[in-house]
Amino acid sequence: MLTSRRLGAAVSVIAASALLAGCAAPSGPVEQSLTFAIEGANLSAGHMDPHSSQLDVSALVGRNVLDSLVAQDTDGSFVPWLATSWEISDDQLHYTFQLRDDVTFTDGEPFNAEAVKANFDHITAEETASAHAASMLGAGAAYVDTTVDDEYTVSVNFSTPYAPFLQAASTSLLGFYSPKVLTESADKLKTGGPDVTVGSGPFILTEYVPDQELVYTANPDYNWGPENAEHTGASDIEDLTIRILPETSVRTGALTSDEVDIATNLTPNTIDQVGDGFTVKSAEYPGIPYSIHVNESYGVFKDPLVREAFSIGFDIDSAVDSIFFGQFQRAWSVLGPTTPNSYDKSLEGSWPYDAKKAGELLDQAGWTERDSEGYRTKDGKRLSARWIAYTPIPDDRAALADVIQSDLKDIGFEIKREALEPAAYNEQYGPRTYDLTDWSFANVDADGLRSHFHTGGFQNASTVSDPELDQLLDDAVATSDESVRTGLYEQVQQWNAKEHLMVPIYVPSLLTGYSDTVKGLTFDLYGRPLFYGASIGAE
Amino acid sequence: MTSSRSAAARLLGHLGGMLLIVWGAATAGFLALKLIPGDPVEVMLGVQAQVSEETKDAIRRDWGLDQPVLVQYAQYLGRLVRGDLGQSYQLRQPVAETIASQAGPTLALTGLAIGFALVLALIAALLVRGRRWNSVVGLLELVLVSSPTFWIGLVLIAVFGFGLHWFPVTSTKGFAALVLPAITLALPIAGILSQVLRQGLEAAATQPFALTARARGIGYARLIGRHTLRHAAGDGITLSGYILGSLLGGAVLVETVFGRAGLGRVTLRAVIDRDLPVVLGIIVVVAVLFAIINLFVDLAHEALDPRLRVAS
Repeated sequence: MLTSRRLGAAVSVIAASALLAGCAAPSGPVEQSLTFAIEGANLSAGHMDPHSSQLDVSALVGRNVLDSLVAQDTDGSFVPWLATSWEISDDQLHYTFQLRDDVTFTDGEPFNAEAVKANFDHITAEETASAHAASMLGAGAAYVDTTVDDEYTVSVNFSTPYAPFLQAASTSLLGFYSPKVLTESADKLKTGGPDVTVGSGPFILTEYVPDQELVYTANPDYNWGPENAEHTGASDIEDLTIRILPETSVRTGALTSDEVDIATNLTPNTIDQVGDGFTVKSAEYPGIPYSIHVNESYGVFKDPLVREAFSIGFDIDSAVDSIFFGQFQRAWSVLGPTTPNSYDKSLEGSWPYDAKKAGELLDQAGWTERDSEGYRTKDGKRLSARWIAYTPIPDDRAALADVIQSDLKDIGFEIKREALEPAAYNEQYGPRTYDLTDWSFANVDADGLRSHFHTGGFQNASTVSDPELDQLLDDAVATSDESVRTGLYEQVQQWNAKEHLMVPIYVPSLLTGYSDTVKGLTFDLYGRPLFYGASIGAE
Repeated sequence: MTSSRSAAARLLGHLGGMLLIVWGAATAGFLALKLIPGDPVEVMLGVQAQVSEETKDAIRRDWGLDQPVLVQYAQYLGRLVRGDLGQSYQLRQPVAETIASQAGPTLALTGLAIGFALVLALIAALLVRGRRWNSVVGLLELVLVSSPTFWIGLVLIAVFGFGLHWFPVTSTKGFAALVLPAITLALPIAGILSQVLRQGLEAAATQPFALTARARGIGYARLIGRHTLRHAAGDGITLSGYILGSLLGGAVLVETVFGRAGLGRVTLRAVIDRDLPVVLGIIVVVAVLFAIINLFVDLAHEALDPRLRVAS
């Protein structure tokens, strides 16, 4: 017995020492260091370069390092940043920028007209295989080239007027890398890292562990923030750490237990855990709300009656309200209310849930018979639509799909949903062999609709091809008269309200929680936090 | 003379077996990834990429994806023989580099997890005596084995991280940051190991040699230490080989919950992204590890059980 006790004691000592070693937690936070938790999915899969990646997260982390020509203020107007002024030619084909002459990249390279040209050339180069930035610059439609007028004057030239250009130029997707990086490490930009992700921004990327964290230090020479920034000089935040925490509950817990100062991509079901001492910023995304894209050219949705029946055949209001705890509002238009100069408010309430009318429309379309499972049939064929969705599918969207399936089943409309990995999804998305698919697309300019609705648009999931609609979209992009543009985009929104090729469901918001000790935090128009000007202060 | 020749033959046999395992794993992985649908180039560019077909074809040519499958397979095996694991489609860096840079965190995690699992299993197996305690521990083992790793991780984070602040959750540096993830990974393994160990000990204790030893008057600890544990350990060691293989799967979940870098997450991403070279590289490395572990398991058996040495 004695020996057995001794054995036990030995084991307990081992266990206890392991525990004690674990308790030796690192010391408290250093003054003016800030930790920011993000979801970060896919960043490591070659998405560190905003010039080539279309992901929000690429733009988010890119902003710390890459500066832009101009900045967009919260009211939608543009203010000087690396460009002190700009002129748009009368035919709206040439944008000429006067550049600051006191800007250097953090590797010592000077910022000048050549640097702007090198970056825009990089974005539009075939090898870059840009998924989004090139089209934002107008490549493929309007962009011609960038020319160096003199050392600090640069012109961007278009073949047709391209109104969204300034907006695009204000994003980190058209931000500037050091020209040296573009010549020496262009092939490493997608992977990113210190010495590769080098710009002129307020922060310098000093350490990058993929899937884990990005560590930045303040750029000590920085003195060229956008004109609307209240802060001047180097950032007060000396160390900025971005932690990648894919689990929402972990991000929320990390925030509330003070392990991080800011956490974003929070979800409506976790923000009620964020209590006193924290602020939750909810910013509605501009652009296309979360919508179901109805494929016009494939199956049952060729018939406009079936499309209309689908759009009013399920109860969006109650589904959105219950699934998102009242945090997100139901969408009525293919543009979110915060999209500058374009939202058509008159659509609100114009197509409410009406199962009875949906049933009548389906009767009218000839789907009058019923099969043994209660689904409608016509000529012996079941009224059925296949909905493809790419994984990972968030729980709330899965719940939404369940509601939609169940409501439509009540009117005899079968919805089959297939969750596909991105690779398998592409197999179907390419040739458009599906009836329905879903996504939202944040964009500060309503021109995001062009890629979705224009004939051959790269996000045209509905396979829309309508010359009149193409004309509206082309006209809207070719004028910089805001009231004319607004009128044109209202017509596009009205068009969809008649055609039902996109069924808007809810307006997603970026939910970002931060501790009250964080001062001076600002947000861009997408609701993404900007750290230049932020500081840590006592409460 | 004869014994050294037979040892050499045994070693050759082991090596041949290892090669066979690695080739089989590499081939199975290659086939599996070719059979599941999805074009790696489409995935590489992103779901909504606006890129011309010519660009896509150029990328396909760059990676040799326009070649017939058999040619791709032959090229792949050829590179493998030369020790070249190829280049990742997504990460745009050599696969060997990817694996080398991600192996460290995963090895630290799994190594500590095995340590914790062994300690916990030994505590349970050696200290728990008596029917009532046996059933309590048995129930505990069952709970641990059947709980999802993901959930265990979240519970541990909530209690010991965010609740008690004993361990940092969002820091990834230092030993303290490794404890919770390692325990998460260790608990289900400890459950299995302790089950096997306890049953082995019980079975050994009823053997005639144990009775004889007890009759000679040796104490419980000495009986376990010198006799029954050696018997029970045999099954445990065999099982450890299997468990080591399952660690990578567990690491995927643990690395995701705790936001840690590592091979687990790289593997998951690579499979989702159809990043063939990375997936195959990891399969080959794991197969080699497996083969080595198997070798050690065999050797450990021989060391523990003198009868095996005589028989061979």
